[in-house]
Amino acid sequence: MSDNQREQPSGNWLGLVLRDVQFWVPVAVLVAGLLVLRWIS
Amino acid sequence: MADESGQAATPGALDARRLRTLQSVGMLCGLTAGAWLGAAEAPTKLVTLGLSPVVISLSMVIGVFLARWTLPALIQGTSYVAADLRQAPHLIVWAVLAGCLWAVANTLTIFAVRDVGLSIAFPLWNSNSLLGIVWGILFFQELRGADWRRWAGVLGGALLMFVGATALALASAAQVPARDAARGVAAALAAGVLWGTMYIPYRKAYLTGMSPLSFITFFTVGELGMMTALALTYSGGATALWGQLSGARHVLFWLLAGGFVWVVGDLFQQYAVKYAGITRGIPLSNTNQLWGLLWGILVFGELRGASGSVLAQVIGGSLVMALGAGVIALSSVSKSEHAHWQKAAASEGERYGVDPEYTRSRIAGESASITRRRTWIDWLVVSVATATIIGFALIAHAPEIAFAWAWAIALVIVTLGMLAVAGLSLWRATRFN
Repeated sequence: MSDNQREQPSGNWLGLVLRDVQFWVPVAVLVAGLLVLRWIS
Repeated sequence: MADESGQAATPGALDARRLRTLQSVGMLCGLTAGAWLGAAEAPTKLVTLGLSPVVISLSMVIGVFLARWTLPALIQGTSYVAADLRQAPHLIVWAVLAGCLWAVANTLTIFAVRDVGLSIAFPLWNSNSLLGIVWGILFFQELRGADWRRWAGVLGGALLMFVGATALALASAAQVPARDAARGVAAALAAGVLWGTMYIPYRKAYLTGMSPLSFITFFTVGELGMMTALALTYSGGATALWGQLSGARHVLFWLLAGGFVWVVGDLFQQYAVKYAGITRGIPLSNTNQLWGLLWGILVFGELRGASGSVLAQVIGGSLVMALGAGVIALSSVSKSEHAHWQKAAASEGERYGVDPEYTRSRIAGESASITRRRTWIDWLVVSVATATIIGFALIAHAPEIAFAWAWAIALVIVTLGMLAVAGLSLWRATRFN
């Protein structure tokens, strides 16, 4: 991979994170955890 | 094939000796993490019950926050942390997310202990290592390319530890009366799922090559932010929360101290994940339950006058748990499995445009091209944190609780000894990268 190709995605890293399926697994678990917390308290 | 200096001749590949060294250091870090995470329970035992769960959790997180900025500033310097983040800025999001997961999980455990007692709650949330193993296999190619003995070692060891933990928790129950079983069980299970899932961001960061010291500085921003939001929500607003914190000011030091000790353990846990993977590192750090039990029995006199069957359960559970940890420690990562890790790392780097040389060198425990230097900012961070802790220590009241000093000193010496051995090994092998 050339340097130019590497620099392009790093400029838009937030978009890359949001498009990463693995990101949404912890997000979903966090939301579920907050709901459980709301229920038990 | 390796050259004479021990560096990998093929880009991305590690020679067998270097791989063994990193593995051993990772396992040692996992065991040391267990000792320190277990010791972190000691200061919190000194606190008289009566504080609300969110105030306890928030106070610990404030101590955690202070430690998470102080230790990296002392060890590497904030300029190192900044340089690390410039290489992989996307990991800030992952670190903050992991911190949020931790804060919610920690609060849930306090509710769980309150509602169903430690005996039921502890093994339920300790299931986090089993879930961590699942994520490691599913997302990060851990155990791929490993032979059946290593699969059996890791899975069997984790199961043994789970069984041992259950026996220990049942025996060491604080006999807290169950208030609301369904809610308590749900809270403990949810905490386990949150912590187990928190290892996804951990592994993501370390496959990319980031130093745990850099990761935790942003992890703690999510941790403190989420915990403050929870405390404000569940305490009835800022004024009410301030009132509760002011009322608890004489015991806050012990909670801060618990948080500080916890961070040392967590730091080793993060290095364990980096160099031994989730599948080995997390089960080993879950030996914290054994250490917590040692503190409870030897120093605080728990289980005094317990029946023979309870003592047998404690000894049996401890042996099974230690056996599980031993089995996992022997299931080291083979070269072919490590090749799969590197494949996962390369894929991560490509996705986020991280310099492949940075990732390669950091996975190998090398420092890439980042230099360390301390500036006035580092000394300011350390001074403010130290002054805050000293301030709380000056107004702290010594708790009136039975305390076996001789055992406490012995355990402190052992724990500090493990810190010295693991810290020195880590420094020699990786320079804390």
